[in-house]
Amino acid sequence: MSKHKDKTISRRGFLGLLGGTGAAALGLLGGCRGKGGAPGPAKLAPAEFDPMSRYPYRRWEDLYRGQFAWDSVTRSTHSANCTGSCSWMVYVKDGVMLREEQAADYPRINSDLPDYNPRGCNKGACFVEYVYGAQRVKYPLMRKGLRSGNPVDRGTGLWEKVTWDEALEYVADKLLDNIYNFGPDTNNFFSVIPAMSPISFAAGARLCHFVGGVFLSFYDWYCDLPPGEPITWGVQTEACECADWFNAKYIICWGSNISATRIPDAHFAYEARYNGAKICIISPDYNASSIHADQYLPIAPGTDAMLAMGVARQLLEHNWIDRPYVTEQTDMPLLVRADNGKLLRASDLAADGDGEVFYLWDRRTARAVPAPGCMGLSKSNGRAVAPPAGVFPAPADEPGGAARPVRAEGGNIRLDGLDVALEGRWPIRLKDGLRVEVTTVFELLKKELADYPLDRVADVTGLGATEIEAMARDLGTRKPAMIIHGAGTNHWFHNDAINRAMILLAALTGNVGVNGGGFNHYVGQERIWPEAGFKKLSFPRGGAKQRWQNTTLWTYIHSANRDPHPYGGKPIEQWIRESVGAGWMPLWPKNDWSDPAKVPDLKDPPRKPRAMIIWRANYLNQAKGNEMIFDTLFKQLDLIVDINYRMDTTALFSDVVLPAASYYEKADLNSTDCHSYMHPFGAALPPQFDSRSDWQIFAALAKKMAELAAKRGLTPFKDEGKSIGGLGWTRDFTRLYDDWSDNGQLADDVAACNALMADSPETEGMTYDLIRQRPQRFKKTDPHAWTSDIEPGVAYTPYKHHVVDKKPWRTLVGRQQFYVDHDWFLALAEALPGHRDPVPEDDARYPLYWNTPHGRWSIHSTWRDNRYLLRLQRGVPVVYISPDDARARSIADGDWVRIFNQIGATVCICKVLPGERPGRITMYHGWEKYLGFGEGGWQSLTYIKIKPTQLVGGYGHVNFRLNYWGPTGNNRDIRVQIEKFKGEPPNRPA
Amino acid sequence: MSDHQYAMVMDLNKCLGCQTCTIACKKQWTDHDGMAYMYWNNVETRPGAGYPRNFDTLKPAAGGFDRHGRLTPSPLPEADDYGKAWEYNYEDRLFKGGKRTVQPNDPRLDWGPNWDEDQGGADRGEPHFFYLPRICNHCTHPACLEACTRKAIYKRREDGIVLIDQTRCRGYRHCIAACPYKKIYFNEQLGVSQKCIFCYPRVEKGKVNACASQCPGRLRFVGILDDAESPVHKLVLTHKVALGLFPERGTGPNVYYVPPFNPPRRGNYGAGRSIIDDPRIPMDYLKYLFGPGVVDVMTRLEAELRTVQAGGRSEILDLLIGRDADVRYRLVNTKSKGLDPFQNSPPQQLVQIGGLNK
Repeated sequence: MSKHKDKTISRRGFLGLLGGTGAAALGLLGGCRGKGGAPGPAKLAPAEFDPMSRYPYRRWEDLYRGQFAWDSVTRSTHSANCTGSCSWMVYVKDGVMLREEQAADYPRINSDLPDYNPRGCNKGACFVEYVYGAQRVKYPLMRKGLRSGNPVDRGTGLWEKVTWDEALEYVADKLLDNIYNFGPDTNNFFSVIPAMSPISFAAGARLCHFVGGVFLSFYDWYCDLPPGEPITWGVQTEACECADWFNAKYIICWGSNISATRIPDAHFAYEARYNGAKICIISPDYNASSIHADQYLPIAPGTDAMLAMGVARQLLEHNWIDRPYVTEQTDMPLLVRADNGKLLRASDLAADGDGEVFYLWDRRTARAVPAPGCMGLSKSNGRAVAPPAGVFPAPADEPGGAARPVRAEGGNIRLDGLDVALEGRWPIRLKDGLRVEVTTVFELLKKELADYPLDRVADVTGLGATEIEAMARDLGTRKPAMIIHGAGTNHWFHNDAINRAMILLAALTGNVGVNGGGFNHYVGQERIWPEAGFKKLSFPRGGAKQRWQNTTLWTYIHSANRDPHPYGGKPIEQWIRESVGAGWMPLWPKNDWSDPAKVPDLKDPPRKPRAMIIWRANYLNQAKGNEMIFDTLFKQLDLIVDINYRMDTTALFSDVVLPAASYYEKADLNSTDCHSYMHPFGAALPPQFDSRSDWQIFAALAKKMAELAAKRGLTPFKDEGKSIGGLGWTRDFTRLYDDWSDNGQLADDVAACNALMADSPETEGMTYDLIRQRPQRFKKTDPHAWTSDIEPGVAYTPYKHHVVDKKPWRTLVGRQQFYVDHDWFLALAEALPGHRDPVPEDDARYPLYWNTPHGRWSIHSTWRDNRYLLRLQRGVPVVYISPDDARARSIADGDWVRIFNQIGATVCICKVLPGERPGRITMYHGWEKYLGFGEGGWQSLTYIKIKPTQLVGGYGHVNFRLNYWGPTGNNRDIRVQIEKFKGEPPNRPA
Repeated sequence: MSDHQYAMVMDLNKCLGCQTCTIACKKQWTDHDGMAYMYWNNVETRPGAGYPRNFDTLKPAAGGFDRHGRLTPSPLPEADDYGKAWEYNYEDRLFKGGKRTVQPNDPRLDWGPNWDEDQGGADRGEPHFFYLPRICNHCTHPACLEACTRKAIYKRREDGIVLIDQTRCRGYRHCIAACPYKKIYFNEQLGVSQKCIFCYPRVEKGKVNACASQCPGRLRFVGILDDAESPVHKLVLTHKVALGLFPERGTGPNVYYVPPFNPPRRGNYGAGRSIIDDPRIPMDYLKYLFGPGVVDVMTRLEAELRTVQAGGRSEILDLLIGRDADVRYRLVNTKSKGLDPFQNSPPQQLVQIGGLNK
């Protein structure tokens, strides 16, 4: 055998742990090392005993007992946007973190539901590697030559080690220069997913807030937002906690490979199966979840809405729909004008009629009656107005948005005394005397479903008619039934239509708002339970005083991404101009975007971004179309700062890299929509090397900016005026640290944790010390943020406020809204859910879908470079190809391949996978650009495509709010070609 | 024979293939000198080559005993069959201005311990695979023990755990040749053979094995086989739904598997056709792994599944749900006479909470 050498052992030497018995062992071992090959010579044992029954030398067993020992153990968790939110214990010995193990002490919800323990995965089990690994950023670094004015190129990987003071002064200086010379809206801040570490998030968000910077979105940009949810339900995302899966009798995993991407939760589904559920897995590939299905449906990529609509038709044909539920809880009975496809409004009937009052047909009186709970009625009734669910402030607070508040409480949608028709056609006389015919949304849906006969659906999806019927039968007859939804389907360009078609299935069968039922979307740890306290901590003066930006739009505009496709006959740039001009979508920095005379090329505006501060994120590596960012946005920016514990691709291409405390070296909080508990980060050891917690880094930056402002004698900056989209805020930067720290009250990380929890009903009575003892279940829900209560002994599932309590849904019509009569939706034939073909590309030259899903070996880019995990893969980025596609190109397993399209190319090795579907190749996403590729990266083939329906606003509940509504950064429609690589593959060291 | 026997049952219909067990074990025990390549716990995709590569098909023999009870040692697997524990020079690219992408230090890069992950097989146009987690089987008749001329391998009388005395082992590797599961690894730096110790330092303290404790799929059941209250007793002896691997090798493995189903072949779902009659995973392959008894076990398990899916109850499946650790694990104090169970304890109850920032 050859030598197996592990270079990491110095800190954990095996021999050092041997102890007393070990010393003797060493002496014995010295002379007789094996050299490989056949077994050594047989020798007689020295003693007469039978090792099957008695062994006389057992004292050596203390050797391993000594390895199960430690000095201290500390509760912490991870912040990689996995949605896991798993509580771990970190074991420390001799001042070194040894390993971690799940705390496994989440309290049980009730005796029937399986518990949440142990929560964690393969990645969480080896995070310690990042604490000491070679990727660790140990000291403040600046791009070599930057300070002397002769810098090396970004991304070279040559650095100058600087002091904290030097680094902070450089950054503070630039940020202040930008504010005074170019405007505060040229400074941009990017950090993702507050739920996974809200204190670290708020640290920079607060600074952004007080310096007037632009805060960039993430949930929509990463295409984790299911746009169908804000459209249909008026929420950002609401899903049951995963223990509720166990209550289901039918589970459809649709675009969600739960065995790989919901590792801590998948057991609930497979245990539900033993509790009587059937499991249907819908996925083009035969994967780690497919193997545990009762029914596996290998669907053709991009045809999910086709299947959903086909099943909807089956539900109708077999009368498997819940008519009372559909009548009360959805917009199916709402009246629609036959002449223009618009919902019938009070403003159609009377000059002073409200444009947001809608109608139902009451068979008892044979009249159109106002639909209880619609938005217009709640206004005229003077009901309480509350912000809607979602992470960020209400649209009413936001500058530049044609925003409208949505009420979460007051009124109801009961149909008491009415006999509401789902079907029918009736004449109506409008205010101008015109007689028009009206019908119901349900009638329009039936008409739409006529386009989805079984044979067509089978043909397009590649499934058998009997397979589709069997699925429809299960969905229609097994109660409760749920769809577990994931990024596999959400990352398509037409994700809004796909979401809406799937939600339709859940609603038609009366499964939304029921334990064990619903459409449950889990992609990204997007939902922070203690929302009120989080908002107050992050954006203390409210949404109206903050510049927000959808990152998809921002990146598209400020990079070389260009989508050549016309939509509705117009280029996307025209749709963007109209949307921004109408005030529907923000676009920073401020420019006269809608005026072609002043901004002839949207991609080359007079005012451009100048600085970008990135923390808790890997913007560049994860950006769709990142090849088109390197030479544009990332060249133009005058300052790129990355705050990180590891040198990821974004950090590598930054000017200043500030060393952050790792997940095991700081205090913070953690929550997820997958469970209903609060638990903390804790410091197993203090911040290692010269690192600091994010909270302390931004505190120091605020101090430094205040110090410089005083030193320079800067007068307060008047943040007002149209040219910079002024916020009417005079900013005295000499007071910046006082503002940031709330006059010192929030100077400490733990103080910030406690303030956040104290300001949120969900965490009533919780303190950092309490949650360090054990995860705590949330106490109650903020009705403005959530749609169900937290009930003891019951798994959380959303929408009970509407379905049980009959409160209006947070939509324009006050019901689950499947019909959207926004002008753009009507013009683009998107009013109802339905199948749309993926965006056409040059299929002749690039016939294969480029599939980059979430996988089991990384959380986005985190852990992608972890050697413990790489050793259980193929060690480098790998693309999966079906045996048919491989054979057709003479590609063999393990070959170097080149993948290319009109955007770019990447070179890597391939793996032939019988479970992969012909017509598609897959690379699990997140690979750092510097690791293992021969050329390019996994994003070298992608580009940004914006769907115009996602640019709309001014429509009841459909308005821009950060991470709630805005264009998603989809990527599934990309096509590529693959060939055997003919060049010289990169050398590998011996 | 030992007085008692610890055993583990793994329900393959709950396995996610996530390898958390592999990492848990690696970080707990094999993160030391000379151990980087070895995985006392591994998870392999089946059908597949396994780890080490083709360990179950070595010629002229693959280990274990023949029908006469004689050892049938195999050739030793080569280092390449285990795969190399790759290292990565991040320092050069990230901090020293290196121009090349970071590559593992393995010019060939053609095998590793999980190289064929998810590849499995295909039968009549439809793919199939499942995950097979493996640890040392702590066999009732350990071939390794019998093969060790040093008598450095023994079976603990109180709990049946099989151990290699690290101070007396001389690295002859007869044990590796004898083991039909190839679950013993040679530490070249120390010159000794090493293997899964069933986490005895943990189970002695009432803390279940790291691979089970950290398993998010919750597919592992641990207890004493002769303890009628233990889940392993119920699954293996009472309900008889768990089977050992390669039973014909004659070692009496004490790790048992609830055999894997995979979904019905296309067109069979809802058509009332048994998965046994037209299986996605060829039944011959399952018989190869788990012996001919697998057909009976799967037939009964399928019936249980149909029962609960039709609204009925199943004692077996209710146990396999394994609602919490108290159901899945029953660890006993083998030093006491009456097999007194430990209370399952979360780790922080064994230690002082706090660290430096308490």
